[in-house]
Formats: sequence, C-alpha cells, structure tokens
Amino acid sequence: MKKGRGMGVYCAALFGFLYLPLAVMFVFSFNDARRNVVWRGFTLKWYKALFHDAELMSAMLTSLELALAAAAIAAVLGMLASYAMVKHKAFRGRSAYDALLNVPLMMPEVALGVGILTFLVRAGYELDFMALASSHALICLPYTVAAVRARLISLQESSLEDAAMDLGATEWQAFVKVTLPLAMPAIISGALLSFTVSFQDFVTSFFVAGIGIVTMPIKIYSMMKFGVTPEINALSVCLLLATFLLIGLNAAFAVRPDEASRH
Amino acid sequence: MGKALSWLLGGRRPLASHLLLAPASLWLIFLLVIPAGGLIVLSFAKNGPYGAIVWEFGLHNYARAFDPKYLPVLFRTFAFAAATTAVCLVLGYPLAYYLTFRAGRWRNALLVGLMVPFWSSCLVAYYSWMIVLGKEGLLNTALIRFGFLSEPIGFLYTPFAILLGLVYFYLPFTVLPLYASLDKVPRSVIEAAYDLGAGRWTAFWKVTLPLSLPGVVAGCVLTFIPCLGDFLTVEILGGPRYYLLGNLISNQFMMAQDWPFGSALTSLLLAGLVGGLWLYQRWEKA
Repeated sequence: MKKGRGMGVYCAALFGFLYLPLAVMFVFSFNDARRNVVWRGFTLKWYKALFHDAELMSAMLTSLELALAAAAIAAVLGMLASYAMVKHKAFRGRSAYDALLNVPLMMPEVALGVGILTFLVRAGYELDFMALASSHALICLPYTVAAVRARLISLQESSLEDAAMDLGATEWQAFVKVTLPLAMPAIISGALLSFTVSFQDFVTSFFVAGIGIVTMPIKIYSMMKFGVTPEINALSVCLLLATFLLIGLNAAFAVRPDEASRH
Repeated sequence: MGKALSWLLGGRRPLASHLLLAPASLWLIFLLVIPAGGLIVLSFAKNGPYGAIVWEFGLHNYARAFDPKYLPVLFRTFAFAAATTAVCLVLGYPLAYYLTFRAGRWRNALLVGLMVPFWSSCLVAYYSWMIVLGKEGLLNTALIRFGFLSEPIGFLYTPFAILLGLVYFYLPFTVLPLYASLDKVPRSVIEAAYDLGAGRWTAFWKVTLPLSLPGVVAGCVLTFIPCLGDFLTVEILGGPRYYLLGNLISNQFMMAQDWPFGSALTSLLLAGLVGGLWLYQRWEKA
C-alpha cells in the first residue's frame, strides 16, 4: 500500500498550496501587529475596526443589494429559458439559444466589462445600479440555467406533470402545482451560486460600476492600493465564512441525480 | 389569463418558446452581442483628442497592436497562458488521478474542497499571497530564519509571482475536466490490461492516459483561454512591468482613454478565444 501513500502526500501538499492563502488570512486577522508578519499576540481589534468603518459597511450593503438583485434576475431569466429549452418540443433556433446562453461563461470578464461600459456610455445610459445588477445577472445566467435545466430534465423522466394533466390540470396548473415546487430546490441552488458569483465579482464591477457605486470587492481593492492592512484579513475571513455558508446551503439544495428520479 | 399562460407553457408553437426565451435573449443581446459587436466596429475607428472618437475607418489600431511597443505584451500573454496551462496540467493530473481512483469515500468532499478557493474571492486570495511573498512576508521570513537566505528577496511583482497566482486560480479549471474524463475510463479496461500482464506503469501509459486524453485537451483549453484574458493577477501580483493583454485593455479604457485601440485589443482577445474554441471543436470531432 506504499505506492498509494506517496500520491496522497502529494495531493495533500497541493491542497496545502490551495488553502495556504486562506489559512494565512485567518491567522493574521488575529495578529496584533499592523505591518509585521511576525506574531505579536492575539487581538480582535481588526474585527472591531471593520464594524466601525462606515464606508465598509455601506460597501457591504451595496454588494448585498447587488447580489440579491443579480441572483433574482438570473433566477427568473434562467427558469423561463430552461423551461422552454427542456419542456417545449424542438423549435428552430434552439441550438443557437443553447450556444448563446453559455457564452457569458467563456467570455473573458475584461472583454465583457469594457464591452458593456462602451455600449452604455455610447448609448448615453448612466452607469447606475440597475446597469451593474443587469451585468452581474448576465454573468450569473449560465449557472442558473445549468442548475434548473438539469432538474427539469430529471423531472421530465418522472412524468409527474403529464400525470397531473391526465387528471385534468391545465398546463398552467400543472406548472404552478407540480413543476415549480419540484424545480424550486434547483432554482434556489442556482440563485445561491449567482449570489456568490455576484458578491465576489471584481472585474465586471471595476469597469461597469459608475462613480459612487462602491461594492465590497472594489472597496477591498482600493484599500489594498493603500497598502497592507490587517483589516482586510479580518474582512476576508468574514467573506470566506459567508462563502462557506453559501456553498453549504447550495450543497443542501442541490439535488442528487438518484434522488431526483425517485419521485 | 390562465389560457394564455397555458399556451405559453405548452409550447406547441415556436412563438411560445421564443417568448419564454425572450427575457434571457434581451439580456444576451443588449449586454453581450451588441457590446461585442460595438467593440469590433469601434476597433476600426480613430481616437481623437480627449478620448473623442473619430469615425474614420482603417486598420491602424491593429497595426499598432503589433508594433514593437505592444508586441511583447501579446507574446507575454501567450507565454504566461501556455506556462500556466503546462504547470496546471503537470500538477493537476496526479490530483485528478488520485481523486478518481484512490480517494474512495473522500472523493466528493475533496472535489468540493477543490472548489472552495475558487468560489472565495480571488482578490482576497491574491491579497493573502502578497502577505506570503512580500519583502517582509512569510516566505522571506521563513527562508531567513532557516538560513537559506541572508537578505530578503522580492518575490512579489516578478514573473514567478504571476505564474504562482495564475496556477493558484486556474488549477481547478484543469483538474475538473481531467477528473470528469478519468472517471469515464472503464475500470474493466484497466483491469483487463493488468490481467494481460501489464504492470502499473504500462497499464497507465498504454490504457489510462490515452483514454483520458479528451480530458487533458479540455482541461488545457479551459485553462489556456481564460488565462489569455486574465486581468487581476498582474494587477495585484505583477505590476505594470509585466502587463498582460487584459491589463493593457483595461488601461486603454480606464486611463489612456483610447477606446478604439482598447477595442482592437479586445477584438484580438476575442479572436484568440474563438480561434481556440474552433480548434478544440475540430479536434473533438476528428
């Protein structure tokens, strides 16, 4: 069994590499020294400073609103689009929609950001909150489509909706009473992923956020430009915990394939 | 009302499908197709004084992108993307192999664990790397403490730091396709190789590796292409000396106010993306 062990050690080392930055920020968020990386004792003052920083709190609020708006838009768009893609009989142009819906995933964010910036400015549209939220919704769209689509396909096999209609329900009733409730976990899971994507997004916001719209990542970036401060570590730890929570929630809502077919 | 909605949901007419897809299409058209098309048009225009746009069409912006001042940026971008892909592949293959064949009941937990750094903010992770790599950072402190160095080295703002940042961020992009492909290799085929007298290495070289080749190619494409457009890594860990295409584009829009030139650079980036995907699709069909 020795051969297997060398590989295990290697993989542990690689995971160590991936988690090193997270561990570093966690440890140093409690370090009582402003500039030094040497351990000077335990403190919570950086966390306290966070909550007394009004600008930071307002950036947090902006990011939360933005992520909520983007996730909500992406969920609705994704639900409608996946429904037509999965449930409707084949129609002309379906493969074009299919390809187009995945483009935001492959498109470099820099290209997306400068493209939207140029278009909105040339069109004379002010770079307001809605513009940014819509841009974020675009990046999130592939995630909600993927989540909802997989769920609708697995529901298709269980043909519960057909059963409802055989029993006299109209398409609308079958949708509201059967499909929507059964698709809800996937919609929520897609929305949670979207929320995470939007909340973390820096590049698109960097280009599309107008003056006066300061999201959390933009605020962190401008703090970094002033140099290393342990407050960023404390903030990062809070954000990381929030991410863990969201991923955990997402795992709870994500439906395993075997479970979906049991209905 | 109910009837109209039922008609919409029933989808017996193509119009119903198009209507349900209309909101998503609206987003895709106004925030993706038109902006990308607009950039391509703008890339042929001229930059006037104070960032005004002069509509005289020509290829001057493209000629400028290939002049000796900017050519190194294009080369550097290509080189960093290639190097990142190579390192990710070499580091990631054993990990994907382990996840597929050895991890057992830990597999799902490890897969989620692989994604966590990816889902947490890249900005924040790079900030942390700054603390590790800085002159007074952890790495220097440790190397001096253990006597490997007498003076701190500036790891930050070097090609090494950029490559490290890129590999850090893009490793999951390589590993997940590799894993997906290795997972599809039928165990029975590998066992058949053993039964026919192949050793571990022979079985790997002759059976597992060739069968996982689609994953290798997919992993390379999914690493290389996003790398070409990377912006944040050099912004934080590299600095202006090592600007990549993404940084040069950003500069044209945010600082230099030369939008036509920026558009030409973005069009080149998109051409690289489309070209790469086209090659990949051709390979996949072959």
